[in-house]
Amino acid sequence: MKIADQFRTGWRNLGRQKLRTTLTVFAIVIGAMSVTIMLSLVTSARGFLVSSFEKTGEDKRVIVTGSAGLSYREAVWARPEGSGRRIDETTLAEVEAVANVNSATLFAQIGQFESMAFDGREVTLQNTAIVAYTPNGTIRHSLLAGAELSPDDGGNAMLLSTDLADDLGYAGDYEALIGQQVTLRYRGDMGPPEAQKPDETLTVVGVMASQDGGRISVDLERGVAMQTFSWMENSGPNGQKETRVENPIERNGYTSIVVDARSKGDVERIVLDVESMGLGAAAGKDEIDAQSQAFTIVGAVLGGIGGIALLVAAIGVVNTMVMATLERTREIGVMRAIGATKRTVRRLFTIEAAIVGCVGGVVGVIASVLFAFGLNQILNQQLRERGVLDQNIVQIAPLVALVVIAVTTAIGMVAGRLPARRAANLDPVEALRYE
Amino acid sequence: MSLIRCVGLHKTYVVGGETVTALDDVNLEVAAGDFLAIRGPSGSGKSTLANVIGGLDRPDRGRVVIDGVDLSDAKDRQLSDYRNRTIGFVFQSFNLQAHETALENVISPLVIGGVGKRRERRERGLRALERVGLSDRANHRPTQLSGGQRQRVAIARALVNDPKVIIADEPTGNLDSTRGADVMRELVRLNQQGMTLIVITHDAAVAQLASRVVEIMDGRITEKAVAR
Repeated sequence: MKIADQFRTGWRNLGRQKLRTTLTVFAIVIGAMSVTIMLSLVTSARGFLVSSFEKTGEDKRVIVTGSAGLSYREAVWARPEGSGRRIDETTLAEVEAVANVNSATLFAQIGQFESMAFDGREVTLQNTAIVAYTPNGTIRHSLLAGAELSPDDGGNAMLLSTDLADDLGYAGDYEALIGQQVTLRYRGDMGPPEAQKPDETLTVVGVMASQDGGRISVDLERGVAMQTFSWMENSGPNGQKETRVENPIERNGYTSIVVDARSKGDVERIVLDVESMGLGAAAGKDEIDAQSQAFTIVGAVLGGIGGIALLVAAIGVVNTMVMATLERTREIGVMRAIGATKRTVRRLFTIEAAIVGCVGGVVGVIASVLFAFGLNQILNQQLRERGVLDQNIVQIAPLVALVVIAVTTAIGMVAGRLPARRAANLDPVEALRYE
Repeated sequence: MSLIRCVGLHKTYVVGGETVTALDDVNLEVAAGDFLAIRGPSGSGKSTLANVIGGLDRPDRGRVVIDGVDLSDAKDRQLSDYRNRTIGFVFQSFNLQAHETALENVISPLVIGGVGKRRERRERGLRALERVGLSDRANHRPTQLSGGQRQRVAIARALVNDPKVIIADEPTGNLDSTRGADVMRELVRLNQQGMTLIVITHDAAVAQLASRVVEIMDGRITEKAVAR
């Protein structure tokens, strides 16, 4: 029997029991869908993570801290106080001298502001991190409007994260905020009242995606100046008045040094070199790896659940095919009488089961694509609200789709094997007598 | 020279713990163009003999040689090929596929044998239906046909691959006498055109049409002289 005829016959035979075939296919569809969606969600999430790290250069980033043993996340928000080496210009020079360092900058956290004012609005900065660094290209952001800080700004520029821009009433219209002057107000409790400084006014040059809450970035020199407080104090040996200058950065050093490696491959070497200098070094790459691994584990677990769904569906196929061989016993006898070999009979039933698996896989993949489309509509909205530029992040990879279809087809074939063999081994004389 | 030669056929079955001898040293020769009727009461072994000759069943001992080919050691594939090309079966209960049209039923041996393209199969199928006078029923399903018509479709199916022998097992058993006579007329006509015909029957009227009659009883055969 020609193979095309076998497929035609198999397809036709499935159509004879439409409801039963549909239900069996449906079970495969559910299994295929769960595997496809779960795997795609995980790979999409991982891809989204990796691409967002790559976009801001964090995959090539090393954060150097005074003490060792910090993870990347901890290093980002490290405190300069405490044990470990002091981070300052000398340390920076040492780090810059390490092979394959593309660029590096000192990084400081500024913490003396309580609010931000603009155009009659006052926004609290309580949960906002204000950070300062040298705008030499080491630190980059995912920008929704404007540009990065530049050495040409003369220290008067700032970047705002989207949530702050939203609070200022510019949600969705970040471009309009570029070039506007925003006032930062100092907290009232920084040293004695006479140390109180006037507000700082900066020009917004860019709006960046928010990460872990609100964020403001300023030029390093300006940031250090913001941290300097001076006042007169009766502190001389004879009680005479003296000017007292206080700057936590000068006292404790900077938070960290942010390093941009020439390439991802250089990161590991740089980490080792920096650590050999008695400093801590944490790579953004490790963060990606750690999170990727977490996604892989989640993917394996979810994929396993989908696999169980497929297994149950496979049992459904076995059941359907056993029913089919019973119902068609006599027909099998006739086929044998008019010249069908055992092999032909076995193939016919195997092909039928494979068609069930294949159709289930194809429909499952199509349904998954539709599901991903719907999910993206919801996610796009939420990502836009969070100021993330990426859209349609849930993608069904063609390879995943093909593999799922191949696997469901194979499941059909394997599940159909036993009933098919049973059909092929029927004694034709007995089968013809079957009522 | 005989077309079919059966030598020392033995076949036993175990039914409900009891051994039944279906064929007991059966020797039989059938010449090309013969119309052989095999008669016998039910359980006598006549269907077993037909099935062994048709390659549907294998004897425990003995040989069946058809057209010089010994079926004894044939593999499933060779035996299936033999059933497909050399033999045409006609059954008592027609055994047509209800979901297929008359034409589709008729061409099924061509489909299974991988013979020709769709167009060629169709033409051969229509020709076979024409031979049994049913070309106008090609697109009817078995349920839309009378019993006699169904059996004629089954005969067309047996004919379609130009077999050397048609084996009909009680072809009139499910038909009233008029329709049965129609079907037999069809078979006789084929025999007159040169087709070798083996008919299994317990009906004396059917056996009377044959050129040779063998009787089978408890697996043993005896030849009856036929007066024509």
